[in-house]
Formats: sequence, C-alpha cells, structure tokens
Amino acid sequence: MKLSRRKFLKASAAAAAMTAAGVSVIDPLGLSEASAAGGIKWTKAPCRFCGTGCGIMVGVKNGKIIATKGDPHAPVNRGLNCIKGYFLAKILYGKDRLTKPLIRNNGRMLEASWDEALDLIASKYKTTLDKYGPTSIGMFGSGQWTIWEGYAASKFVKAGMRSNNLDPNARFCMASAVGAFMRTFGKDEPMGCYDDLEYADTFFTWGANMAEMHPILYSRLTDRKLKFTHVKHVDMGTQITRTSSTADIMILFKPQTDLAIANAMANILIKEGYVNEDFVSKHVTFKRGLHNLPYGREINGRNDGGATFKDKAKGVSYEEYKKFVSIYTPAYASKLSNVPADKIVEIARLFGDPKRKTVSYWTMGMNQHTRGVWINHLVYNLHLLTGKISEPGNGPFSLTGQPSACGTAREVGTFAHKLPRGVVMNPKHRAFAEKIWKLPPGTINPKPGYHSVEMARAFDRGDLKCLWVMCNNYFQALPNVTRYRKGAQKEGRFLVVSDPYPTRSTELADVVLPTAMWVEKEGAYGNAERRTQFWEQAVEPPGESKSDLWQIVEVARRMGYGHLFDYDLSRYDGKIEKALFEEYRNFGRGFGKDLAPFDVYHKVRGLRWPVIDGKETLWRYKEGYDPYVKAGEEYNFYGNKKKTGGRANIWLCPYEPAPEEPDSQYPLWLCTGRVLEHWHSGTMTQRVPELHRAVPEAFVSIHPEDASSLGIKNGSRVRVSTRRGEIIVRAEIEGRNKPQKGLVFVPWFDEDLTRMVNNLTLDVYDPISKQADFKKCACKVEKV
Amino acid sequence: MSDAEKIDSEERVSRRSILRSATGTVSGGLLMYILFGMLGRGKNFLKPPGAAEDEVFNSLCIRCGKCAKSCPYDAVKIADIDEGTAIGTPYIIAREIPCYLCEDFPCISSCPTNALDHTVILREQVKMGTAIVTDRESCLSLNGIRCEVCYRVCPLIDKAITLETYRNPRTGRHAIFEPVVHRDQCVGCGQCEYKCVLDRPAIKVLPTKVIAGKVGKHYIFGWK
Repeated sequence: MKLSRRKFLKASAAAAAMTAAGVSVIDPLGLSEASAAGGIKWTKAPCRFCGTGCGIMVGVKNGKIIATKGDPHAPVNRGLNCIKGYFLAKILYGKDRLTKPLIRNNGRMLEASWDEALDLIASKYKTTLDKYGPTSIGMFGSGQWTIWEGYAASKFVKAGMRSNNLDPNARFCMASAVGAFMRTFGKDEPMGCYDDLEYADTFFTWGANMAEMHPILYSRLTDRKLKFTHVKHVDMGTQITRTSSTADIMILFKPQTDLAIANAMANILIKEGYVNEDFVSKHVTFKRGLHNLPYGREINGRNDGGATFKDKAKGVSYEEYKKFVSIYTPAYASKLSNVPADKIVEIARLFGDPKRKTVSYWTMGMNQHTRGVWINHLVYNLHLLTGKISEPGNGPFSLTGQPSACGTAREVGTFAHKLPRGVVMNPKHRAFAEKIWKLPPGTINPKPGYHSVEMARAFDRGDLKCLWVMCNNYFQALPNVTRYRKGAQKEGRFLVVSDPYPTRSTELADVVLPTAMWVEKEGAYGNAERRTQFWEQAVEPPGESKSDLWQIVEVARRMGYGHLFDYDLSRYDGKIEKALFEEYRNFGRGFGKDLAPFDVYHKVRGLRWPVIDGKETLWRYKEGYDPYVKAGEEYNFYGNKKKTGGRANIWLCPYEPAPEEPDSQYPLWLCTGRVLEHWHSGTMTQRVPELHRAVPEAFVSIHPEDASSLGIKNGSRVRVSTRRGEIIVRAEIEGRNKPQKGLVFVPWFDEDLTRMVNNLTLDVYDPISKQADFKKCACKVEKV
Repeated sequence: MSDAEKIDSEERVSRRSILRSATGTVSGGLLMYILFGMLGRGKNFLKPPGAAEDEVFNSLCIRCGKCAKSCPYDAVKIADIDEGTAIGTPYIIAREIPCYLCEDFPCISSCPTNALDHTVILREQVKMGTAIVTDRESCLSLNGIRCEVCYRVCPLIDKAITLETYRNPRTGRHAIFEPVVHRDQCVGCGQCEYKCVLDRPAIKVLPTKVIAGKVGKHYIFGWK
C-alpha cells in the first residue's frame, strides 16, 4: 500500500494534532512501510485472550491472516506475547469452524439460511414474550463481546424486550471485584494502571496465578524484582503456583480463611501504628452491612435467600471498626488458616511500611468466593488504612481474565441489574438511559433480571423459556453443569448459541449461529487498566459467519425493535459501530468515564479513561493525576460524592465459613482454574494443535502425602468426585501446581465430558455479587 | 526452500544413500551396527528407560519386543530394517511419542534380560539422555515470549529444568524466563522436545555423551 501525498499530509496532521493532545500516536508511515514489504497489510488489534490487552499487529495477505506479531510500540507488552498470543494467527482457522446457521429438526442439526434462523429466533422470542412476559426470555453474554456488541445487547434486551434478563460470563469472573469497588469507591474498576508495576516496592498477589494467567504483566513484575533487590513479593494462595517462584514470602492458607488473615493484617496495622491517620480522618468512612449471609443454595427447590439478598449498610465509627478487627489476633487467624502467626505479622508490617509502595493484585481466588465482595473489601481496607492508593506504585488492582470484562461487561453494564450508567432499580438512571435511547419514559423495567446461576436455574425450572448464549460457553462454564445441561434439554426450552466453533453449549442448542471472531469484524475492547483499544476488520469471516452485533441487530429488527438501531449512517462513515459508540459515550461523559471519539481510538494504542481534553488518566481519585479531583482536595473518591462527600468506605466484614467443607465422606478441597496454554473453556486454544499437544487434557494436582495415602502415583488415573458428579483424570504430583495438603486442583479447559471439572463444582455464590465459587467444594479422590 | 526444509531433505538423502551403499556391499553385522548406530544417534533415537550404555545394552537386549508391547503410550518402538539401528532394538523418538515415566515402569519389568535395568524403580534413576536447548535463536522463551512450555511440562519441573530470569534489555520493563536444563537431574524422557510448540523443536533430548563436555582430570572447580 502506497501512501498518496494527500493521505500522508492528512495522516501527519492527525498525528500532529494527537501529539499536541498528549497522546501517543501510531506512526501511520511506519505502518505503511511495513505494509510495503511482502505485500502484507498490517493492522493493529488487542490480543483476543486475557484482560492484559497486549498490542498485536495482524498481517493479512490475500484475505487471510498469514502472521501476527507483538506490537513493539504497544505500551503494555512492547512486542512480547505469551504462548497463546503467539498462536493468535491460528485460532481463526480451526478445521471445524461453523459457517452456516443450524436449526434442530427432530433432534438433528440441519443447515438453514440466515433468514430461516433469524425469523425462527424472532418469532420464538416474540411469542414467548407476549405470552409469558419479560422474565421468560433472556440472554447470556460475554466479556469477550466488543464494546458495541455489549451495548447493542443491552439496548436490545433492556430497551427492546423491556427485560433485564441479560447477564455476562463476567459474572463468573469479576462480579465480586465490581461489587466491592462500587460499595467502597462508588465507581467500578481499579484506580491505578499497569505503570504501578514499575513503581511498587511490595507486590501482594492474592489468589492470583499471575505467572500463568497474566503472563506479560507477571513478566513486568519479575523485571521490577530483578531491577531492584529491595522489591518484595508476597504470594497468598491455597496452592504453590508458578507465581510463587518469585515470592519472598509464601502464605499458604486454608481455603476461605483469607477473610481472617486480611482482618488480622488490619488489626496489626492498627495496633502497631502503621495507619495513615491523616488519610483516614480526611478520606475514609466506616460501614457495616449484614453478616451471616446466605450462599444462594437451593434447598428442596427453594433458594436460601442469596438470590434476592440485599445488604443493609449502616455507618459505624473508627473505634467500632478497631474493636471489630481486634478479635482477629494473629493467633486466631493462624488457628483458622494454618499460617504461622509470625508470618501474618511479618506481611502486615511489610504492607504497612510507610517507606514502601504496595500494590495488591488478585484474580479468581478472591472473586470466585462465596464471600468475594467481603475479601475484596478487606484488601481495600488495608490500602485505605495505610493511604496506599491512587498513586504510582500504590493501590489495589483486580486483574481481569477476559479481554473486555472491563470495557464491555463492566463499563457497558451488560448485567441483570445494570445500565450503561447506573442501575435499573434507580428511577433517575432509568430516565437517563431512556433519554439517550429516545424511549418513552417508563420503558425500562425496574426489576433486576436473572443473574448467571439463577438464569440457569430458571431455565432448568422452565420459568425462563428462551435463552440466547453468545460469545461464551455457558454449558461448560456453569458450576454443577450437569444439572443445567439436563435442564437445557427439557421440553419447552428454546436455546440459541452463537459461536465460531462447536462447543458443549452449541451441542444443546435449538439454533446455532456461526459467528465472526476477533479481527473478522470491527471491534473494541477495554482491558484491566481502563485502556480502550480499537481494531478494524482485517479479514472476512468464513462462510456465512456474521458478527454478534449483526445477529443482535437483525433479530431486534425482526422483533420490531429496528428503531433502536436506526442511525443515519452517513453521519458515521457508514458504520453502525461508530454510531453505537458515539451514542454510548454519552453515558460516561462528565461522570468520570469520559471516552475519546471513535476515530481517535483507531489512531492510538489505546487510551485509559477518563479521557479529558484528549489526555488519558493513569491514576484516579488523586489530585494532580485525575482531572476530576480539584486543587486542594488531595483525594476525592467522587463516586461517593453524594453519599459520603467523596470518602471511601472501609467495611467491617467477618470471617464466615465456606458453604461446603471437607468431611469424612468428601475429605479434600477441590479448587479449579486455568493453565497458561489454554484459555477458559478451550474453544480457541484446544484447536491449536501445538497447544493441545502441550496440555492435551485436564489433570488433578495433588499433594504427595495425600497421593501416597490414597495409593496414587504420578500419572495414575483417578476418579475425582463430589456430591454432584465425577470425572476421571490423571494425577500430577509435584508438577506445575503444588497444592497444600488436603486440596486438589483441576483446570477447567477440558471439554471431554468425563474430564469436565464443572460436573463437580458447587452452584452457590456470593449473595452480594452473585458470583459463583469455583475454588472451593468438598471432593473425594480414588484410584481407578 | 527454507533452511529447515533443506536440513530435512539432506537428512533424508544422506541416510538413504548410506543405507543403499551399506546393504549393497557389506552385510556384516558389525559394520551395519556401527553405521546404523551412528545414524541412530543422528536421528536422536532414545532407548527405553533403564537401558544401560550402548555396549552393555546391545549385549543384553535379545530384541524380544516385550518392552514395546508393555508401553501404555506406544512410545517404545521396535527397529525395522531401515530404522537406523539393529533390527528388533527398542527405541523412542521423543518428538513422536516421548516417555511418560510411568511410576511402575512396565517396560522395565517386562524385560526378561535386565537390558532394561530392573534396579531402576524411581524416575530419578532413569537416564535416557539429556535435554538441551539446541537453538537459542528460535526458543520463544529466550526471546522474551512467555512460553516456557518445556519447563512446565517437565515431569521433574524445578529440578531437571528451572527458569533463570534476567531483564529484557530491549523492552526495559519485562523479564526473560530462560529454561535451563540440569544434566544431573534430567532423565531424558523427551516431554520437553515433544511438547515444544515450535514447528521444529528448539529443545531436544540427545544421548548424554553427545552433548556432555568433559573437564580435564588435572583441574577441579575450587568451589565444588
């Protein structure tokens, strides 16, 4: 591709304007020079996999991706990738890509035209909606949707069908982090950014195997440790992982007792004078909610109250808080957790050391927790007590597992209770959305819809009759999945699944829609550090595959909601994506989530919101870093402006036991998770032969003493069973994961029904975040 | 033709031509053995776990094939006329199917002659060869890519292969995680070579004597 003089001038002018605005710009010339070599057209995109958001250059020739490379100028990864990113060019080209819509006919899936499939979906949804109302239909979406796909889905379900039965797989992933961020700061998502990795002196990883799940960020953590010998890493978890290898201190605790340890750390910070009293007195309030919470259990078909649980918060004094944590002595926490008391004291002192900057990173160990919101709170409490927050190298940071868990699920708000700004329960928030969406007042339903596990239960019961699963693998990802797989196959259920590949979910569907993936469509993701990244379509999708966006809009039109997506596209360069994004921006502008115009994102390597006057924000809530904080305020947690005058909340959260603990019948803890080589349910990575060869099947990691007492050897085939089901896998002793005695670990990517670990997991959840706990239940292991 | 393809084709040609000349002139077992033995090394064949040094093994192995039959993974194969080693000799090609180091070593217990040493009961006692990163240029991990598959799939992770970290001077903010093989711990099972995600593996298992250097007897490292 040659750049004409006119184009060049235009590009240079754009670049100059962007540079003036303080934004780093992709050199358009650099791109075209690269393009000239070998007739390959290079475009930029964020990686398709985790929430790190590595920058990728995609090389296209003759309509096919022939290569990818890490973008050397991308600030996140500087040209590097993990082993999944290395294989990005292959994930589109699995041999069994779905290329035609399929409709079930007498139990067999038959090829159909798009018109037949879309008309069928629209008529089923419409008749069900007319007959049974807005709670009878639903959609389960994704943190892998592009921003406008999530936005279109929200509009389709909430403005069109007037239902709130829209929830994303992000509910399984980071709902607890969202819940706690909202309750503590009044706004979601971390205040800091990845630059913290280059400033911190102490890293805490809480239930996070960052080495395998966020490989490039862990590479930066490791570099920081190599660069400065004073840098320390404390790894907190229930097993020794690859991440533990950089740890100076390993805290191996009994599952669920992180609640007690974090409270004990706060107690020590207070007792030993590590509290930043000035910060606490100016910027913190104290709150106490309900305790002895339910677990979302179903007992004889009735929910224990978790499904509809609403917390009742009241303000308490600093003194009451001190008294509350004082029962968590190092000795008490040690008794519960099996962690030596002096270790707890040591890490509390390290955390509190006023000369050291401290970042906490966490992932599923904290979020997939029946007290997930609480443990998130308890970690924020430590940062708030010490004032270690909102500045370079100081802060709590939740890492996300999906490429747009933040950008799409959390920011667009594709949750059963959310709107792009605010919640459906709030009349002002509904009115705001109705205004932007040009809806008659009162259109949006004020009652929250079914959240993830309850959605599956409602489908099982038959209260939910039509379900559209998009961009995720619900019927492998659900806890206690066997039950819900059976439910989906009951008479009177209508299941639509959109996916690029056949999965455990498509096999249960009545209609399967072939979906364009990643750079086969125009896209945008938001990574874990609030960085919004765009890409342009680079290749055509195979066969008749269409994007999720196209599918949503087409069904909406056929149901009579075409007006929701009727834009004068001549104003948006002919792109509905641009029309949707420009409309969506209205929700955040002026409310702390300002996004740049659509065109800007195509010229930069992402921007971290709020983007004000063309400038991104690296640290929120602190004067000098965040334009929303006025001079003289020092800090302003402005999400809480109305409620507390901009103070953050420290919450009093106790230790409460897990809902199912090992007993004589099922004597071991079962923990699930991932491996570096595979991503989530393996739909993409299992189709890359090299990754499949590297880790072909799920295994169970077991402590050598547990193995020996059960007569299990390395590589033995064993049966892992719980009250809900069983799987047969090979044992791995002293391998990549080294669980504590009494705990076993199984990764969840394997779709083979005899090895699918969600046959075993417990379908309960945090009553506040409604996030399921995939990390703790009781199991039994036997030699086969 | 890429370098890799060139290497492939050269290997094929040379092996075939030697085979032809060898069978055409001499059929003496000794010469065959030497030739094929050399080729076998060139082709990176491994012997099953518990196999002694070549001379001892060759004198004890009666080419009965029981070890191959007992292998649950079909990793152990039996040499045919053109396999580059004496007919009936068991061998393993790691890149095709590596050894999984079964805890009960059915291959060893099935061996009627002790060619596979019956005193080998622990995987740490096995010594089929030694892994070596043969190409530092193409190894993804050495380029800063977070691969390290060889390390994580190593049955003796953190013993036979460890990760050495150092700073990535190009990016200035990432680390390089180098897989380092420890010869005294590596048992040569070949999992790393088999699972290396490259089109052609950058880590291979070779007979230890092929890769091992030898320090002169006149010198001893002062710190050992």
